[in-house]
Order: sequence, then structure tokens, then C-alpha cells
Amino acid sequence: MKPLLRALGVALLAGFIAPAAAGDMRLQPLPPPAPVNAAQVELGRHLFFETRLSGDGSRSCASCHVPDKGFADGQPLSRGYNGTEHFRNAPGLLSVRLKSRLMWDGRHAGGDLAGVVREMVLDAQFMNGEARIVAERIRQIPPLFALWLRAFGGQGGGEKSELRGEQAFLAIAEYLKTLDFAETAVDRALRGEAALPPLAEEGQRLFAGKAGCVQCHHGPLFSDGKPHRLGVPEHPAIAREPLRTISLLRHHAERGLPQPMAERSDVGAYAVSKNPAERGSFITPPLRGLAHTGPYMHNGRLASLEEVVDFHGRGGGPGSVLRPLDLSARERQALVAFLLALSAPLAPVAEPPAYDYGSVGGGRR
Amino acid sequence: MKRAALLLLAAIALIAGVWAAFAPRPGHPPLASLPAVPVPAGNPMSEDKLRLGRMLFFDPRLSGDASTSCASCHVPQLGWTHNDALAPGYPGHRLWRNNPTVLNAAHYTRLMWDGTLDSLEVQARSAMQAPVEGNGKATMVEMRLRLVPEYVALFRQAFGTEWPQLDHAWQAIAAFERTLVSDPQQVPFDRHLAGDTAALSEAARRGLALFEGKAGCIQCHHGALATDEGFHALGVPRQPLYDSHPLVQIAVRWQNVQRDVPQAVYRGLEEDLGRYYRTREPADIGKFRTPTLRELKYTAPYMHNGAIATLRDVVDFFDAGGGSAPNKSPLLKPLGLSDGEKSDLVAFLESLSMERPLIVEAPVLPPTLPLDGGGEQCEPPVKGRT
Repeated sequence: MKPLLRALGVALLAGFIAPAAAGDMRLQPLPPPAPVNAAQVELGRHLFFETRLSGDGSRSCASCHVPDKGFADGQPLSRGYNGTEHFRNAPGLLSVRLKSRLMWDGRHAGGDLAGVVREMVLDAQFMNGEARIVAERIRQIPPLFALWLRAFGGQGGGEKSELRGEQAFLAIAEYLKTLDFAETAVDRALRGEAALPPLAEEGQRLFAGKAGCVQCHHGPLFSDGKPHRLGVPEHPAIAREPLRTISLLRHHAERGLPQPMAERSDVGAYAVSKNPAERGSFITPPLRGLAHTGPYMHNGRLASLEEVVDFHGRGGGPGSVLRPLDLSARERQALVAFLLALSAPLAPVAEPPAYDYGSVGGGRR
Repeated sequence: MKRAALLLLAAIALIAGVWAAFAPRPGHPPLASLPAVPVPAGNPMSEDKLRLGRMLFFDPRLSGDASTSCASCHVPQLGWTHNDALAPGYPGHRLWRNNPTVLNAAHYTRLMWDGTLDSLEVQARSAMQAPVEGNGKATMVEMRLRLVPEYVALFRQAFGTEWPQLDHAWQAIAAFERTLVSDPQQVPFDRHLAGDTAALSEAARRGLALFEGKAGCIQCHHGALATDEGFHALGVPRQPLYDSHPLVQIAVRWQNVQRDVPQAVYRGLEEDLGRYYRTREPADIGKFRTPTLRELKYTAPYMHNGAIATLRDVVDFFDAGGGSAPNKSPLLKPLGLSDGEKSDLVAFLESLSMERPLIVEAPVLPPTLPLDGGGEQCEPPVKGRT
């Protein structure tokens, strides 16, 4: 019986992993780095940490996407701009360039990183900035202005050339393209270079076989980039803390839901697609780097990977598309071990220096 | 003979022309007491609206990061304006102009130094949403109001809506501002006009005579608000912060961009072009709307850029015939006032202000609460930043 099961498992695994056999549903190693414009990356790296992109000059991208935390923030629900509290978990940014949809509700197409950066910088919930003020503030910070000239000042540049806030978003997007997950034990195993430890290897078989994780978690990021409803319980803070309720209802109002005051729970991808079947569904997150980016799920409701595996094993919550898996304690451990094998130590990220405003000088210099 | 007559005629014509250009225009209305506050048909006054408007005026939750209320820059204790030449505005910013007082703003037919807005309702919205002032994005601020149960009830009473709507917030604030007007019983000059012969000091009376006569102030400062609401270039000295303060420099450039002035025009200029922004007439560059002279006692510093600190300095500036500017008003010329005359003018100007400032205490702001009761109360902001 046991050898038979194992054989079945191996066959399934082979089906899911073998490059040619199973089409979409493959686990894949990370692709090579993206080609980037080095001057724009350098400007974008500075701007990523620059609080003066935000309206009141207090919040940078790195305020909620902390390099030491896999570019997530370690909170169940993210904080957002001053005077607001967010209703979702801040996702990590490593290899964000590979996502096919961006944001938990998939409201931005994969690849449109500059579009997401624009929303983050301008939206009242995140940085509440203004593009033309961003441009004028950069102009007032001589070292940043010099970086900007190098990145965008090429065409007829010079000191008088146009600096547009949009270029700040492009530069940050270019920087984001350089943030990749480090190679993991799983990548080496997928290329046949080194075997995983036995428990993780067992987890990988379960992942691709009995547990069926691979149905949604495949490809280089271990995500299908599609919305699914798992019935993750609402985070109680959203109803309990009015600033979070405000953010959620305001999001629903902004997205044009017909009864925004009546939508008291996060409707997920439905707010974007208006497809009733997608109510309460969220885009499958990547599984790489999970060791650094807890707590988990769109609302940070699950604190540990053990809880995440238990939750999936139970078949999710009310309304879930998942089915119960009947996993043993050992199998759950194995799955956690495999998930952890998808994380590598984080590469250190050097924060750029903080520059003061300079005086640009008036017309009567 | 004929030639001499022609010369004489020409001289007469020239003198008449100069007279026409420089003499006080007889057509202007006299100084007067303020009439009843005009109330637009679309926004009638009501008790509920005023109560609501007074709270909203002081409520920083109308701003992006819940830090800045109308009262942060229009501080009741500072003459409903700010004593900084250029007020701080929203955190991370500095304003580019001296912010005008709310006092008697209800009587203006157009608002702002360049006359770009024409109602208090629009001004309230514009200020609370401008990135450098309130930076409050509409959908966020509106939803904040909806989680303040006391506001939900007040908006319902005042406007009959199920949930607060942001446009009504601006109406309520405007209604409140229509109550912030000079009380003629407290303004010496208004009592003087009403026949109280002891209302003005001797100095103020002499100042009034100079105002209407030798100093010629009346040419632009007339009517009940003591302003023609016209636009004039006086050559006010450049605000030094324009050349030294990074946030001011950012603000000046941004305001120009914001008004769609081509970068080629304002880069390297970095000035406030005034009325030009509205008309795009080069002849309007550097012109600003004549401000009211009422309540001046409480609204220092002066001029569109706050570059003049005291009333005495203002009088000195006009006595010198103003400064230099490309489109400078021909009405300004050196006046040759004596020290005593200047003091008399200041005494008169002060008589246009109430003897005690009009102050409204900040109300206790109602808390933000969870929608269906229960849960945590969110600390109400105690007070606007001042």
C-alpha cells in the first residue's frame, strides 16, 4: 500500500514538476534578473526611502515595505498614511516584477509597477502625495536632483529641463525590478542540483500531490495570480477600529460599489471586477520568502505558517472554494518545512543617506 | 499769439489729463458701515448648520493626516489669520502668501489675493483639499465624517441626508464664516458714522481727513469694506523667505505649475504673478486685490506676502509712494506725510477694528466611533494645530 502511494505521489510530482508535462502547473525556479536602467534604479532606490514623496513628508515606501521584513511590515493590518489605518496586510515586494496581478484585489496588471507606485504615492490611504509637489521637492534636494538629471535629464536636459512627478514613479518601479528573492534550496532541487532535506521533500510531494497546493501555487512565484475565495475570517479590528472601517468603506465607495455604506466586510476582487462570483476573493500570494513576511493572508489573520497550513487543511473558512484535506500532523509539518525551504536569508539593503533641502535660489539671485 | 494759445491749450489738456489720472475719482462710494451679511440663496442659514459649521471649522479630520483644521491657519486668537508672514499650512509645507482673515470675508464679492474664487463655500473646499493647505482627499474625509455619530445626526438635521456629504460640510463652514463679521457697536469708526461724536479720538479724526484727502487712501479703500475689490500693483517688497526658505521656494514653484504657467515663464522668476494667473494679461502681473481695512489691528503682518510687519510700516510704504513694479499703479506717489500725520493715519486705521477681538472658542469635537456601536473609541483630536 505504502509503496503504491509513494509511487503515485512521485508520478503526480513528476507530472507537476516536469517541464513539459503539465503546462501551467509547474513549480519553476526563479528566472534570471530583469534588465534595468541603472541610473533610474539608483534614483528609485533613493526615492523608495524618501519620506518627502508623501503629503506631509512623513511616510516613505519603506515605512510599510521594510527591507528587513521582506519588504512587508510585519503587522496583520498595515498602518497607512497618518490619520488613517489600513484594512489589509502589506505584501512583500521581492520579485514583485513577476506577479501577473498586483494588489490583493488584483486592481493593477502585472508589470505596471509604476502604476502601483503612482497609486501608493498619491492615494489618501497610503502617502497622500501630489505628483507636482513631488517634482518640486526633488528639485529642492540637490543630490536627488543630480540623480534625477542622470536618470531622466538626457534629452536636451540641463538644469531647466522638465522634472515630472511621473518620472519618480518610473524610477521607483525600476528599483523594484531589482528586488528579487534569493535562490532557495527548492530552486536547487528543481534544477536537480541538490536534494531537499527529507521532511521538506515530503512536503513538496504533498504540495504537488495530496494537498493540491500546486493548483493555485505554481510558476516561479508559486502563485497563479488569480483571485480565489478561501473564507479567511474578517479581521475584527476592521469593525472595531473606526479608522480601519473608514478606509474599507471609502475603498468600496471609490471603487463604485452601489451600497458602499452597507459593505462592511472586505469584498476583495469583486470591488474591481464587479463579478459577484469574486466577492470575498483575493489574489493568490507568492509563497517565496514567507519566513520573513508573516502574518499571512490579505488581512494578516493567520499568524504562522502552521496556522496557514491548518486553515487550508480544514478546507478554509465559510464560503471557501477549498475542500478539507485530512492531513496528518506529520504531513502538516512536512508542508511547513517545504514552505520554509522556499525562503532564503534576506540580502542586506543599504538605506541611502537622508539629504536636506537646499536653497534653489530665487529669480533675483 | 496763436501759437501761445495752442501751447496754453495743450498745457491745459495735459494738466486736465494728469488731473484725470491722479485726482480722487469722484465716483467711488464713501466709507460706510457694513450691511447685513449677504446669504446665498443656495445656502440659507440655520441653527443646526451653524453648530455643525463651527465644529467643522475647528476639526482637523478634514485634512489628509487629520492634523490641520481651518483654524490652524485662521486662528481666532490671531485675528482669524496667522501671525507668520507665510503660515505653515499643511505639515511639510509653507504657504506662499499671507493668508487673509476670515473676518468679514463674507462681504467680499471675490476671494483670494488674486480674486480667483467667488464664494466661501468654494474657498472652504479649495483650502481643505489643496495639497499645501488641508490636503484632504474628498472620499477619505467624507467617510471620516460618516463615522462621527454626532456629525451624522447634525448633517441629517441640517441637510436631510442619511449620511454626511462633503459638499454640505463646505456649506456649513461657509455659514459659520458668515457669522464672523465686525460688530458695528464695537468699531469706533462705525459708531462715528452712526453719530457718536466721541467715538473717534482727535488723532483718528485727523487720520480720517488725511485718508480721504491728502493721503488719497480712499481712492482704493472705500465702501463698507474699505476696498474697491480691484487689483493693483504696489511694488510691495519681495518676501525674503522667497530667497531663503526651501519650503517657500517649493510652494512658489508649485503654485505657478498649479496655475499652468509654463515652466519657461516661471523658472528663474519664482515670483507671485498675482492677478495675471486669472487673466493671463501681462498688464496684470504683480497686481493683487485691495484688502479690506477692517480688523487690521488683529491681522498683522500685512500685504499679500506678509512682507510688512506693522501698520506704521504700511503707512511708511505708501508715504514713499510704494515700491517698484512693472505694472505699478499710477495712483501711488510720494505723499510727504509728517510723522504726526502718519500716526494720525494709524490711529484712524485702528478705529476700523473692534475694540476687543472677535474670538470663538474651539468647540469640543465629537469622537469617531465604530459604525454599529461597541468596539474602541477613537480619541477625538483635541484641538487644531496652531
